[in-house]
Amino acid sequence: MTVPILEVKDISKTFGKVKALDSVDFFLQKGVVHGLLGENGAGKSSLMNVLSGIYIPEQGTIKVQNKKIDKLNPELASSLGIGMVHQEFRLIENFTIKDNLTLSKANIFLENFKEAYLKYSEIFSLNSSYNTLVKDLSVGEKQKVEIMKLIFKNSAIMLLDEPTAVLTPQETSQLKISLETLSKEDEKTIVLITHKLKEIKDFTETIFVMKNGKMVAENLQTDEVSDKHLIELMMGEIKTISIRKDNLKGETKLEVQNISLINNDEVNVLNDISFNIKSGEILGVAGVSGNGQVELANVICGIQQEFNGKVLINSNDVSGKGVKSRKKLNLSYIPENRLGVGLAPGVSVLDNSAIREYFKASYGPHLSKGKMVNYLNDLIKQFSIKAPDVKAEISTLSGGNMQKLLMGRELISNPEVIVAAQPTRGLDVSAVESIHKLIINQRNEGSAVLLISEDLDELFKLSDRIIVLYEGRIIKEVDIESANIESLGLAMAGINE
Amino acid sequence: MNNYILSKKLFRNELSTFYSFLIGFIIALFVGSLILLIQDKNPIDVFSLMLKLSVGSINSLSNSLNKAIPLILAGLGISIINSVRLWNIGAEGQIFMGALALNFFYINTSIQNSALYIFLLLTASFIGGSICILIPALTKVLFGVNEIITTLLTNYIVFGLTIYLINGVWKDPASLNFPAAAYVSELVYLPIIVGKLSSGFLICIIFTLLAFYIKDKSVFGYEMRIAGGSELTAIYAGISAKQKAFLAMLIGGGFAGLAGGIELLSQTHRVSTGISQGFGYTAIIVAAITGMRPLGIFLVGCLFGALTIGGSVIQTIGVSSYIAEIIQATTLFGALVAQFFFSYEIKKKVENG
Repeated sequence: MTVPILEVKDISKTFGKVKALDSVDFFLQKGVVHGLLGENGAGKSSLMNVLSGIYIPEQGTIKVQNKKIDKLNPELASSLGIGMVHQEFRLIENFTIKDNLTLSKANIFLENFKEAYLKYSEIFSLNSSYNTLVKDLSVGEKQKVEIMKLIFKNSAIMLLDEPTAVLTPQETSQLKISLETLSKEDEKTIVLITHKLKEIKDFTETIFVMKNGKMVAENLQTDEVSDKHLIELMMGEIKTISIRKDNLKGETKLEVQNISLINNDEVNVLNDISFNIKSGEILGVAGVSGNGQVELANVICGIQQEFNGKVLINSNDVSGKGVKSRKKLNLSYIPENRLGVGLAPGVSVLDNSAIREYFKASYGPHLSKGKMVNYLNDLIKQFSIKAPDVKAEISTLSGGNMQKLLMGRELISNPEVIVAAQPTRGLDVSAVESIHKLIINQRNEGSAVLLISEDLDELFKLSDRIIVLYEGRIIKEVDIESANIESLGLAMAGINE
Repeated sequence: MNNYILSKKLFRNELSTFYSFLIGFIIALFVGSLILLIQDKNPIDVFSLMLKLSVGSINSLSNSLNKAIPLILAGLGISIINSVRLWNIGAEGQIFMGALALNFFYINTSIQNSALYIFLLLTASFIGGSICILIPALTKVLFGVNEIITTLLTNYIVFGLTIYLINGVWKDPASLNFPAAAYVSELVYLPIIVGKLSSGFLICIIFTLLAFYIKDKSVFGYEMRIAGGSELTAIYAGISAKQKAFLAMLIGGGFAGLAGGIELLSQTHRVSTGISQGFGYTAIIVAAITGMRPLGIFLVGCLFGALTIGGSVIQTIGVSSYIAEIIQATTLFGALVAQFFFSYEIKKKVENG
């Protein structure tokens, strides 16, 4: 084995009482695409922040090209050729692509910018002129610019933090090809950080796995390792829940007829959408965000009251009626935006827990605190929510507990119809599991569920049927038995064969 | 020196607002003492005289509590409006408008039953306060215009209107060159309970409990909290955030208007520029010190009333009455700083250890 281009040994880093990194070893081979796999909070980002000089570890050694580096800081890391693409882009929106690429003083393509841009924009299939302003680019295109920035400042080691989180399946496979080209032709050393198993298998040649701040597996050859083994490493144990898809389907609970909606900018955001969901059925809604999902949920849940078409809950026409009419018919809505829509920031846990049914704790104008507290205690017990102080602001809860509180609040009354938008976004694997369980239990209790998600794995796991939204239309509708990822991915990009 | 960062504490002591107030008040007394020392006055003498002449007898105590009434009512109004996270800087104008509305109603009606008449007059003053905040409320919910600016500006408009009326159509010829409207009949004076204490203080107690109930115990208060937390959450919950904001502003304005009405019927007995001596502005301090809690507003309002009385009497020994205002303002300043340290802590930065 050749000498690694970068090698760290015995790195530890603690934050307060939490050991973010616990004696971690890690090394990179030149010109190879490495995968770093782990759940949220496993220590992946902490390790990357150590490598890019942002965090200073308490112990351990860092060697770059076999030379020991004493005090790594961001500037030094950059001059050693270590570059990172963060999850939040660090681009200047009002600058052109060219200005963003040449901003760094380490920029190596000042003289022959045009040729370099031509070469790399082709590798990334970026079809924009370098005079385009960054704010006019799509998310996927911005990411391409962000990665190209590393190339332009001559980074030999490229650390990419969850780069596929914002991409469509097509963009993801495009990124795969670009990274392969970079590693082969330019001998770039690439680290792909992700918690998505499929991508790590597709993209990388060698895999490292972290769990609870420790490196639990080093340098596994991607071709040789099985999915099951990786999951075991990442999660400790596999908790597969078997999901019956032959669940009993009853009568129609939710009926949506020919819904069209034109927004303030006179864009047709929803276009003749019709479907129905039976009791005990989960209808998955796939689609890249911004294709009408939020608007559809708002129409069904009564937030958007002016639209064409009809919404029927248990055969009751609720079109033109408000949120409260839906609540009376026992519809629950778990909105995409947890803190800000589902939960009110700056307001106590107790107040937030009552948002769905506060009127049940009232006698005329009087609101019974006792009833609210009892209700919250039920929620805390039934959904095992960790809430140290119910009078404290909602933001004192962790993301997972916030989502549990929100889900619990919406599910505790066994709703007839559930609309859930991105219910697991941003949560770690174990929280995702428990949210999935809640949704399935609810389905088995006879609820009709509309599940809006960008995560195809989630949709495949939970849905009985899937529809794909593209530019406000249902471009595809399939039963889960006959669905396949590729055709759904194409449909998400607007191609329906 | 960038090794320390400010981080928000997850949990705050429930009594932290009270402690902050105490700390602020102690700092204020200390600052006041320093100023008195510079003027060669003995602070202990001055403060004990202030104490004696503001709460030392039934008469002085009732003077203090009478002064507290407008502070408390306007402060309560501000705190109700703050439930939807909006600021009412216009309590001063609303106080005047309450008095104007009362006088307008008084001039145009004649009712024999004095209890009923007083009730109707005070209702008119409440409505006057609501009318005063109507334009800021409408522009807020319809166009999103910043209510801090609009409520502040209405103060000047209403004050101008008052000057116009008492120099013009309402001017009492008997008041000679002093611009003021005619006195109201003694029949509608608010009765005295004890000493000089006006029965307006009872109204004040009732409205304190009412504000506490609205804010903490009612469905409307809950809906205001949610609407104040996030308009989108309110809409999601089926609560009209705009409607709550609108109602909160009208009610809060009404509280301040009522303060003007009580002031007219119990103190000035006529419309003049003396209806308010900056009560609407001091009420902002009172409300802010207490973290917008009605019961706290009641207590701090009483204290500030006593300070104002104490401040005015020490002029007799050659000390400026501004010492009371300095203490009030410094209390707010100290309390806000203390609240800051109760809510945040300075931590050593961990990343770059």
